[in-house]
Amino acid sequence: MDDKYVLLKGNEAIAEAALRAGCRFYAGYPITPQSEILEYMSANMEKNGGVFYQAENEIAGMSMLFGAAAAGARVMSSSSGPGFDLMQEEISYLSSNGIPAVLVNAMRYGTGDGEITAGQDSYWLTTRGGGHGDSRQIVFAPASVDECAQLTYLAFDLAEKYRNVVIILTDGAVSQMIEKCRLPGRKEHDIDQFDWTLSGKPLGAKKNKLNNMTNIIGHSDYQKYLFEKYAEMFENEQRWESLGVEDAELLLVAYGISSRVCKTAVMEGRKKGIKLGLIRPITVWPFPRKAFEKIPDSVKGFVTVEMCVATQLGLDVELTSKGRRALYSYLTGVNIPTAEGILAFCESILSGKQKPTEVF
Amino acid sequence: MTALKKPRSIIQPVSFCAGCGHAIIQRLIAECIEELGLQDQIIACCDIACSEWSLDALDYDFIAGPHGRIAAVATGIKKVRPDKIVYAHAGDGSSYVIGLTETCYAAIRDVPITMIVVNNACLGMTGGQMNLATTLLGDKTSSSPYGRSKDSTGHPVDMLKLIQNLDVQFAARGALFDPRHIEETKRYIKKGFENQVSKKGFSVIEVLSPCPTNWNLSPVDAMKKIREENTKVFPLGIYVDREERGTGCG
Repeated sequence: MDDKYVLLKGNEAIAEAALRAGCRFYAGYPITPQSEILEYMSANMEKNGGVFYQAENEIAGMSMLFGAAAAGARVMSSSSGPGFDLMQEEISYLSSNGIPAVLVNAMRYGTGDGEITAGQDSYWLTTRGGGHGDSRQIVFAPASVDECAQLTYLAFDLAEKYRNVVIILTDGAVSQMIEKCRLPGRKEHDIDQFDWTLSGKPLGAKKNKLNNMTNIIGHSDYQKYLFEKYAEMFENEQRWESLGVEDAELLLVAYGISSRVCKTAVMEGRKKGIKLGLIRPITVWPFPRKAFEKIPDSVKGFVTVEMCVATQLGLDVELTSKGRRALYSYLTGVNIPTAEGILAFCESILSGKQKPTEVF
Repeated sequence: MTALKKPRSIIQPVSFCAGCGHAIIQRLIAECIEELGLQDQIIACCDIACSEWSLDALDYDFIAGPHGRIAAVATGIKKVRPDKIVYAHAGDGSSYVIGLTETCYAAIRDVPITMIVVNNACLGMTGGQMNLATTLLGDKTSSSPYGRSKDSTGHPVDMLKLIQNLDVQFAARGALFDPRHIEETKRYIKKGFENQVSKKGFSVIEVLSPCPTNWNLSPVDAMKKIREENTKVFPLGIYVDREERGTGCG
């Protein structure tokens, strides 16, 4: 890791960290608010000895990625909104074959074209998606440019460790903001490091047949392999940050851009005598259930802060708390939440004016 | 007279239907690879659907891509391992219909891969439904039970004429209805591999191939239909050979 700080956009930090992690194949299609990743790769991938493709669409880009990863390269693609929809097919194929890849979903707000600005309403798609079939992806939710770099770097190692897709889930704000960032050290990846790759082996040598893994090891073993892998990822990869949980009356739960505002709300609230705490999931799959194991008696409820129409994060909080505390969701839709808004909402909860939120 | 030998690359029988052209094409691919001495450096790509039967039959590293995306998958592989020989064996539904974009852009990028497209005038694996690009007008299929009508479904398209405009290395169409044409098809496929060995660009070889099961014809009658009907819409020959700067029947 370089000691010195550099000033980068979130998208640039992701792209540079990927190159430093040994990513040598990128294919993608431009879409706001993640296009700087593609542009950065167009300027720097070949200098690093890699391959950059502006694809004809996200499906084709992901298919190139599928081939490149199968051939052994560290690969990345990135998208947002409707573009991320189109990537689902190949996420399923990558999962079906146990091929590692790192993807970025920089969330923009809304259904359809929506807006090109920040949103957090593709949470379910990203944490529960993955196309057809039953797959799980590790999903990181960085809340700063520095974290964009560190988590992207880590993502490549975890993708290979589990032979799984890892997704960096940002939003239009985290992707576009410029702030200080430390860059990880450079490493090269050997495309012949793993024995599952397509390397063009001689006749008679054991070949790799990358097809549905079920065809290779049978449905029963495949089901067992996947279940155990997902359980292991769930157990080992939960990451989160806690703030002021010990004596909190209300515990905010937020990730990405909303979690930054929540930190301010916690500080400001405590100045005013409102005891707020924060649990910030750094992985949103696996959702950090361990962070919720020791919730003090002082906590009257959980408050998710999300840029959604109806709560999505709240489902994970409900699954985690199993109804032991009331759930409230502060939903700001297309707008980035403000600390004042969060505080006012929390005050109204504490004065009994808010009904608990229903998840549907 | 030399004895006819099975290519060493073919290591197990496959489940193609009786009279299916895919098996002949699979054998031609293996023969070309071995005659050029490339058998120890192959990465093969197939589509889901009928070409996937080759995956276990051939002793190569193999990948089955998402339906229609095979040219893009092969592109990714070739760019990561440029010294290996990468070929794609896919159907006409994959290459010309659902994956036409991927095929065209692999051609436009002039990716040095060898693509073999099996034109069997239907969507074989799913039960012989109409293929928008290759089913002849009037032909009955399970999704055009009254015969394909231009009014509602458009017309079959000679995609090599489209690809001809994309500045590729080599584009040709062969057929399998008699030994002479099988030999000619083999020459085209071999040319496609030779181009890759000499680091030239994108080569595509389309093969008019019978699907007796879905055409409801005997294998012999299916070959006869190709010779008498399909070749009229899909003329045989070399469309592009950048080396020769010549064009054939296109």
